[in-house]
Amino acid sequence: MTTHRRRRLVAAVLALVTASTLTTACSSDSSSEDSTEAATGTVEFWGWVPGLEDLVAKWNGKNNGIKVNFHRMTGDDGEKVEAAVDAGAGPDLVQLSTHDLPDYVIAGRVKPITKYVQDIKDNNTASSWASVTFGDEVYGVPQGIGPAGLMYRTDLLAKYKIPVPKTWDEYLAAARAIHKADPKVYLANISPTEIGQWMQEIQQAEGSWYGTKGDAWTVGVNDDASKKVAARWQTLVDEKLVLTEQMWTPEYWAAVNAGRIATISYAAWFPSQLVENAAKTSGKWKIAPLPTNAGSKNSGDSGGAAVVALKGAANVSIAAKFASWLNDSDETQEALISVGGLFPSTKNGLASPALMKPQPFFGNQVINEVFADAAARTPATWKEGPNYGTAQTAVTDEFSKVVTGKQTFVQALDKAQAATIDDLKSRGLSVAQ
Amino acid sequence: MNRPRFAPYLFLLPFTILFLLFLVAPIGVAIWNSLHATKSSGLGFGTARTVFVGVENYTRAFRDSDFVTGFGRVALFGAVQVPFMMVVAAGLALLFDSAVLKAKRFFQFAVFLPYAVPGVIAALLWGFLYQPSVSPVIGWMRDVGIDVNLLAPGTVLWSIANVAVWSNTGINMIILYTALQSVPREMYESARIDGAGQFRIAWSIKLPMIAPALVLTTLSSIIGTLQLFGEPQVLKSITSNIPSDYTPNMSVYAAATLGQNENLSSAMAVILGAVTLAVSLIVLRLTNRRTMVAEDAA
Repeated sequence: MTTHRRRRLVAAVLALVTASTLTTACSSDSSSEDSTEAATGTVEFWGWVPGLEDLVAKWNGKNNGIKVNFHRMTGDDGEKVEAAVDAGAGPDLVQLSTHDLPDYVIAGRVKPITKYVQDIKDNNTASSWASVTFGDEVYGVPQGIGPAGLMYRTDLLAKYKIPVPKTWDEYLAAARAIHKADPKVYLANISPTEIGQWMQEIQQAEGSWYGTKGDAWTVGVNDDASKKVAARWQTLVDEKLVLTEQMWTPEYWAAVNAGRIATISYAAWFPSQLVENAAKTSGKWKIAPLPTNAGSKNSGDSGGAAVVALKGAANVSIAAKFASWLNDSDETQEALISVGGLFPSTKNGLASPALMKPQPFFGNQVINEVFADAAARTPATWKEGPNYGTAQTAVTDEFSKVVTGKQTFVQALDKAQAATIDDLKSRGLSVAQ
Repeated sequence: MNRPRFAPYLFLLPFTILFLLFLVAPIGVAIWNSLHATKSSGLGFGTARTVFVGVENYTRAFRDSDFVTGFGRVALFGAVQVPFMMVVAAGLALLFDSAVLKAKRFFQFAVFLPYAVPGVIAALLWGFLYQPSVSPVIGWMRDVGIDVNLLAPGTVLWSIANVAVWSNTGINMIILYTALQSVPREMYESARIDGAGQFRIAWSIKLPMIAPALVLTTLSSIIGTLQLFGEPQVLKSITSNIPSDYTPNMSVYAAATLGQNENLSSAMAVILGAVTLAVSLIVLRLTNRRTMVAEDAA
């Protein structure tokens, strides 16, 4: 090997390294600015709603120049989105819990889509549109909400002669009665890690984790409403009237299938999960409104989702176009409701005949009548706020110590409150006491 | 002629590039991240910017009692799991090395096999065995009157240790066994002539001769313990008794993903790395002294 050739080899290696660094730099540059507003292109979309594959195929079949690649989110995909965005990767469009959205907005991980979604604004309920609007900008297309209901085993309640509880006081009495009648059966399961079940009752009691006072955030993880719900849950746990299995585990579904759990209070999307995981209990369930607090008709909601355009989205206009079609087009409502199990936040969805179909699994009950009624009775007191992830993790971690008797729900809430405020302050945000 | 001097570096080039790119650079990024934070003001909309904050993230990590408790937890875990596993692995290696065992290959393979099962799969498999409603094992135990909850706050750490022992004993056994193979056979012969029995030979000759291998396997087990993540993270999905910050590594992950704070997460990662380095050095120092003493004595 001559010196000349050797030098050329070194130069080639160097060139290769430099080239790859440069391409990386270039690609991250071009993705952070939306220079391209072409009407055609490709959209990467991540979501978790059942049946999205078919809807994406339907869209791609239109051959309108916008091709959508869909990735089904499973496991901890939701937790990875943020890291992917920060690394300059990640999809163009992603399905996100509306609870997480403010954090994404503050950290600049989502792009406003305001000017592209004006035509669908009026098709969305005011509250769902508000959940994706911050200041003057719209950051997502709402995709379903989570009004709560009480799913109950008609056979078990009948067997032990227990009336369907209409209030939380009746619920407590029912919990005592059913467990006394059969020590193997519980009225409910409290999963310390399932934040949605906590949240819907907080919302029902008109509490909120966040609020604003002037130019500062207020934090209400341990507000009066939360403490009221905590007292109820504490009684249920202290008197051992509930199972405390972690939700979604084989152990949990085994208890459901074995008829050890007589009621499940959860959101409108839960029935489709029940159908899938407890098929052999078909026909034994019905749904009643969430029990109410004394002197109130309120129901609750555990939160909805939205499809948002992430920071790295190459072409926001076509991404927003697809997101609008997916959630607001007349063509998609039936599939989203009957296959996806979504409770719509769109007016054409609420009017869709698919919504009010009787469900064989629930003894041919028209279950969405209950959820529609719940949506109408949900108070508008809940406010979204930043560092929701931190607050949620603090609450679920502390709740886990409650069900094993190490502390009370109120103590857990106080700790979570402190952790949430601490985290907000460390981010430089103003917190009002 | 400087050709012979250049060639070795050329061969090292791919390694060096990868080393710089995937080890040195990430460490640098982590340290840089750990000294900065994303700060906003007021309500935070449209004001986020990255600023230098010195050791703020570190003080925050140290003030996080759950993060600190995580170190205590893995220390307890390691104090029990590592010696137990090493004794089992060394015992099995000695057994396979001795002539007393028939069907040696089969048993060796059987002990090694769990190592070939990916850690996440192993945790999933054991997770099923730990859940009363789906586990045949717990069913059998109940039939004979033993009612045990393997996922309770007091037992779940040892359920994780069980997975770690099951997964990793095999590879440690193989390393120790291979080391035993390289011990000159004549030494055993002279020991026997001196009147040493099998146990005496194992204790006084075989184990001291494979001391470097024992140190290596123990050290990597200790590091593995400090980095404990996969098993508890998987089992977390079946029990609420494993919080998101159960081990230091889980705290790092939770801060980055659930807390969406990569700066705090980086500080935690740097602390974990420093502790791992310190523990490794201490173990090496201690065992070096020991092996040297043993060698002097011999």
